[in-house]
Amino acid sequence: MRDVLRIEDLVLKFRGYTGVTEVLHGISLNIRAGERVALVGESGSGKSVTARIVLGQLQELRSAQVQGGLYFEEQDLNRLSRRQWHALRGTHMSMIFQDPTSSLNPVFTIGVQFTEVLRRRDPKLSKEAAAKRAGELLNSVSIHDHARVLNAYPFQLSGGMNQRVAIAMALANHPSLLIADEPGTALDVTVQAQTLHLMHDLVERTGTAVLFISHNLGVVREFADRIYVIYRGRIVEQGPTQAVFENPRHAYTRALMAAVPRITGGGVPEIQDMDGAFFDPLEVHGEDRP
Amino acid sequence: MKRTLVILLRNPLSLIGVILVALVVLSAIFADFIAPFPEHRGSVVDFVNFNKAPNATNIMGTDLVGRDLFSRIIYAFRISLVLGVVVLAIATPIGTLVGLFAGYVGGKTEFILMRLTDVFLSIPPLVLAIAMMGVLEPTLMNAMLAVTAMWWPWYARLVYNIARSEREEGYVLAAEVIGASTPHIALREILPNCLPAILTKMTLDMGFVIIIASSLSFLGLGVQPPTPDLGSMVAEGARYLPDSWWLTVFPGLAILIAVFGFNLVGDALREILGADQ
Amino acid sequence: MTPLLSLKNVSKTFGHGDHIVQAVRDVSFDVMPGECLAVVGESGSGKTTLANMILGVFGQSSGELWFDGKPLPTRRTLEHRSAIQLVQQNPLSSLNPKRSVGASVRLGLDVYGIGSPSDRWSLVEAALEEVGLPRDFRKRPPAALSGGQRQRVAIARALACQSRLVVLDEPTSALDVLVQARVLRLLNDLRAAKGLSYVFITHDLSVVRNVADRVAVFKSGQLVECAETGAIFENPREDYTRQLIGAVPVVTREEIELRNTLATEGQT
Repeated sequence: MRDVLRIEDLVLKFRGYTGVTEVLHGISLNIRAGERVALVGESGSGKSVTARIVLGQLQELRSAQVQGGLYFEEQDLNRLSRRQWHALRGTHMSMIFQDPTSSLNPVFTIGVQFTEVLRRRDPKLSKEAAAKRAGELLNSVSIHDHARVLNAYPFQLSGGMNQRVAIAMALANHPSLLIADEPGTALDVTVQAQTLHLMHDLVERTGTAVLFISHNLGVVREFADRIYVIYRGRIVEQGPTQAVFENPRHAYTRALMAAVPRITGGGVPEIQDMDGAFFDPLEVHGEDRP
Repeated sequence: MKRTLVILLRNPLSLIGVILVALVVLSAIFADFIAPFPEHRGSVVDFVNFNKAPNATNIMGTDLVGRDLFSRIIYAFRISLVLGVVVLAIATPIGTLVGLFAGYVGGKTEFILMRLTDVFLSIPPLVLAIAMMGVLEPTLMNAMLAVTAMWWPWYARLVYNIARSEREEGYVLAAEVIGASTPHIALREILPNCLPAILTKMTLDMGFVIIIASSLSFLGLGVQPPTPDLGSMVAEGARYLPDSWWLTVFPGLAILIAVFGFNLVGDALREILGADQ
Repeated sequence: MTPLLSLKNVSKTFGHGDHIVQAVRDVSFDVMPGECLAVVGESGSGKTTLANMILGVFGQSSGELWFDGKPLPTRRTLEHRSAIQLVQQNPLSSLNPKRSVGASVRLGLDVYGIGSPSDRWSLVEAALEEVGLPRDFRKRPPAALSGGQRQRVAIARALACQSRLVVLDEPTSALDVLVQARVLRLLNDLRAAKGLSYVFITHDLSVVRNVADRVAVFKSGQLVECAETGAIFENPREDYTRQLIGAVPVVTREEIELRNTLATEGQT
């Protein structure tokens, strides 16, 4: 199957006052069409900057140096102009962020923002057609009082509602890749669980591939088909979710899994001091590439 | 501190600012050694050499009573700086305390202090100063007083806004739960977090105070002759334009150098210290 | 045994006229000496309001708070303040960025007059040592510390005040899991060593399962269920509790099974 996204040996460096720091040390990953792939790691591991590189945002920073291959639907992203890259975002590639309420524009109603999103793909879309389409999209995320939601401003809706709206908007133009950066972390657990289920079903139905960025192993286990574990700018383990969770091979992955408190009890896990084994080479489960 | 200095000197614009400020400050401090005719800061009359265009002896020319313009400008820097430092040294603490307590304590204290501030802010600064100088004698001392009276409310506003947002920070709650006193929380916990902004504003304001003081002098309400002052020098020379151009151009340039220098440094500080927070 | 802290029919309303919000409604519970009581709930459940009343940030609208067998006034004495301490969620904001961590820890000692002024720095260093930080950390600014180290400093600050009850407001939810595990262990060890009581406010039920003796579940300002930790997880009485447990993202097969049994039980 073809890759929607392929990253090859990606290196990211930041130039600062104290010299150059390397943040990503050559990571490679691929996402096939319709596949849900998670990039899981702690804060500062480089998972969010990876997403921002794919979106083309980091390259606009003068202090950032990005090297390595980036291919989206077989086109070389590095050869795109800024304008072409911008045109991809919101149409072929879209995103969802941690806090839905702050990622929606507070001064426009949901309806206006929907129309704007839909017009990115189809600039001539009429207001009525946009409203109709928005209604269908809201249905798909189980929001049924369309009129109220479309006329509301983001701050008038609950966090969970905004998250659903954000999901519907992100999928409005049938993107082939959805980048979700810690979605729902700012929400209550029950709401987070509901929206994740919803998103899971929706991307499955639409066949959208997802790059899911998270620090939460539990959430990843429920959402992703395949996972990459990232530690300090290196991928340390990759494979199908089931395989990695049942049989983690890399020392870092094991420590990470052990550290999660279990709802079945057993006390607070004892964590060894960070040892050199965390820098062991990549562990790959199964036949990863067809 | 060291980092700030390094960045300040590395950026070309802020480096220019630092050089200009250093030029002004050093010439003010060492005026007695730099000025070719130190006695010309007072009332000296030399009718042989009056109103001379720039030449080898008087590089910026002489004024209407024959005093060396270059020497007078250097001494005028001294007056401007002293004025700026004194004004800010009085206005900043007053404004800071008002803003700090209004912002942290809230309630009635906030209402009274901030409405008082608003009253001062609502009067155009130069008008307030002119009104005060109309009542008081136009002396250097009173000029400082007038400028100070219109300056502190800006600091009150600035600090008030920072204190309001710092009040919501966890460390303030922590100190309150421990039971620390209000003065402790305001002065020891919140104030240090306001200092970068205050420092930046002070640097920027040095330039503005110099302009305002010059404006007052230009209107004849500030520093009185024979004390050299940039504003009154421009005012005096303006009557003899364009023939005796040096009488206005050089003091004008001096104002520009001082104000521009302090502004460049202030802008750079704002960026550096702002990024720290 | 007398409870260390008792809440008796405590309510709190905010606002007046048409804009009354009842943040906490008629809540009663006890915290025994040495006990860790978890307060669980989602946003708007009244957890934070409850914490603020226990800490004396504001008073209750009705009902009574008792501490160590005596009524707890809203205007706290220094003795009460030193006995009830707080550890906040975000150590980045709970430590003053412009002061050394030592100065933050020392504040309580100065306010309560613990130790002689010349001894206080060594008391501060001892508290840092107790939470597993080197003594010379006291001179460092918070920015020079990692998230886990900062949270340790916040814990040291509560310890240095010779507290008996610590309100832990989401103490580990801003931390990475490896760091969280270490901080939770530290909290457990300190409780055992010093006989501390905790009111552990959190939304993370997997943490609760492993640190709490009892769990109080809150919803919209009301206490819906309060029981021993084991009972809450194996046999929750309320649907809401079941929902909360069902929403916890889990990593092992056993946990998924537990969740599934709870879900099917809920339907019957």
